[in-house]
Amino acid sequence: MYKTGLTVWYSVTNLEQTLKFYSEKLSFEVIFHDSSSGMAMVNTNTQDCVLGFSEAEAVEASTSSTVFEVHNIEEAMKQLEEKGVSFIGEVEHIPDMVKLATFVDPDGHNLMLAESITEL
Amino acid sequence: MNKEERVLRLSRELDGQWTLPILLSLDEKGGRFTPLQNKLDIAPSRLSANLKKMVSDGLLIHLTPQERRHPLLPEYVLTEKGQLHRQAARAVQLSEEQIGHGRLSDKTWGMPILLTLSFEHGRFQEIRQSLDGITPRILSMRLQEFHNDRLICKQLLEEPRPSFLYQLEAQVQRPVHQLSIDLASLV
Repeated sequence: MYKTGLTVWYSVTNLEQTLKFYSEKLSFEVIFHDSSSGMAMVNTNTQDCVLGFSEAEAVEASTSSTVFEVHNIEEAMKQLEEKGVSFIGEVEHIPDMVKLATFVDPDGHNLMLAESITEL
Repeated sequence: MNKEERVLRLSRELDGQWTLPILLSLDEKGGRFTPLQNKLDIAPSRLSANLKKMVSDGLLIHLTPQERRHPLLPEYVLTEKGQLHRQAARAVQLSEEQIGHGRLSDKTWGMPILLTLSFEHGRFQEIRQSLDGITPRILSMRLQEFHNDRLICKQLLEEPRPSFLYQLEAQVQRPVHQLSIDLASLV
């Protein structure tokens, strides 16, 4: 039934600012950008997993998290911090499962880095 | 309220600079703010104020972020009244194209005055009485403008007392009459 592919869509207040964040700070590739309709998409670190953005007058920060897997969470955090990403709180450790670091995009949408400790 | 009054009220609800272009820029279901703003080339604050008014007039519903199931779906949804006004806006636009003098509905009371004349209310006081809320000053100003633009003609009547009779010019009669029929079918 399903084919490969997953898109997470976000409402954002300023598309240019959002794209700057995702492309410059997170290094994701912009694959679609239409200013006139206020829409854009970026590739993530995972094939066929895409983030979509649509400009809206009213935006509420999403409380669900899009979580990006990394090899080493401390190294990844350091790299992103050098690009100006601010992390919220300390690295959270779920024993025998995962290490998590939380940050937000310009609209306050929750994002996370995750380093799996145990293979699922 | 009779049909003629309802037609005039509907045309009155469409006049102004932005109501008609906004309605025509929305699709069947409604629309999002950013595409509307780009399409209309309008300042965000002005678009916002106009949309707010259209919401309070019952033409649109402004969905909250929680009510929108997807960021690409409309932020503003046309109500049943809004759908009707959108159809009316198309009729007004068609009429303006046929008259060929650019937008006439962007002037307050512009279209209602032309429609009143097509209902054969030709004397100043008759026109004024058929357009609820119009001031003598604005009526006088619009009649003068339309006369200067050769959309209407005026004839001096001597009896029973000297007064002007305003009528649509021949080339304007048909499109305005057609508009009155189109709007009457919607009210």
